[in-house]
Amino acid sequence: MEIAEQRAGHLTIIEVKGRIDSNTAKVFGERLTTLIAAGGQRLVVDLKNIIYISSAGFRVLLVAGRHAEETNGTLALCGLSTEIQRLFDLGAFTDLFEIHPSREEILAKPA
Amino acid sequence: MSAIAPGKVSLVIGNTLAEMEKVVDLVDHFGAAHGIDRPIVNDLNLCLDELLNNTISYGYDDEARHEIGVELSVDGAEWVVEIRDDGRPFDPRRLDMPAPGGPIKDRKIGGLGIRFVKTLMDDVDYVRSGRYNVLTLRKKLPGEASGGNR
Repeated sequence: MEIAEQRAGHLTIIEVKGRIDSNTAKVFGERLTTLIAAGGQRLVVDLKNIIYISSAGFRVLLVAGRHAEETNGTLALCGLSTEIQRLFDLGAFTDLFEIHPSREEILAKPA
Repeated sequence: MSAIAPGKVSLVIGNTLAEMEKVVDLVDHFGAAHGIDRPIVNDLNLCLDELLNNTISYGYDDEARHEIGVELSVDGAEWVVEIRDDGRPFDPRRLDMPAPGGPIKDRKIGGLGIRFVKTLMDDVDYVRSGRYNVLTLRKKLPGEASGGNR
């Protein structure tokens, strides 16, 4: 798994590549925790290049989503492929997060 | 296009999360060698991640090194995976699988892994054989290899 970060105005976009699984979820979670801890952060996690996300990865998203709420921030997601969307649907996660089709659509919106 | 050729490989790993990487590599290579569609390979890796993580994290009463055997075989019509461990008797099919729901602050993740396994695999079978848990996953394959790495 690789994690890249892009700042775009008031947004921070975190792009994850590869597998979010039992081994990589911890690093992913630590990265999100560090970013969210600053408070008032508007984060977008771009999942377009992930291969799959296991329950360990969903746990990280859940914890990060709560943490963002508690620190007056937001955590949104984008770039869900059909296969990844199916995993979100199985866990009924689709309603828990603000989900956008792509990073490009988010950036095209006026702030 | 030809039918998927039969084959079998196996691997033994230790009971650490780090060693699960070897299983991911084996599944990837086996899937590619047999021309199995990428989404099926990914589903299998996801299910193995859930099951092996569960065994490694919660399956043992001691701190000793244990071995977990993983065997992959394909006969053209289906992909069969057998996982064999000497942990406490545990049939994951009997694990509670509460329907997920509710707001983010109350949401629990328990049961999600087994929900993935039961949904993404076509069949999950379990037997206790001597001091071993033997779990068999079956995933049906399309009739012909598409040969694609989507």
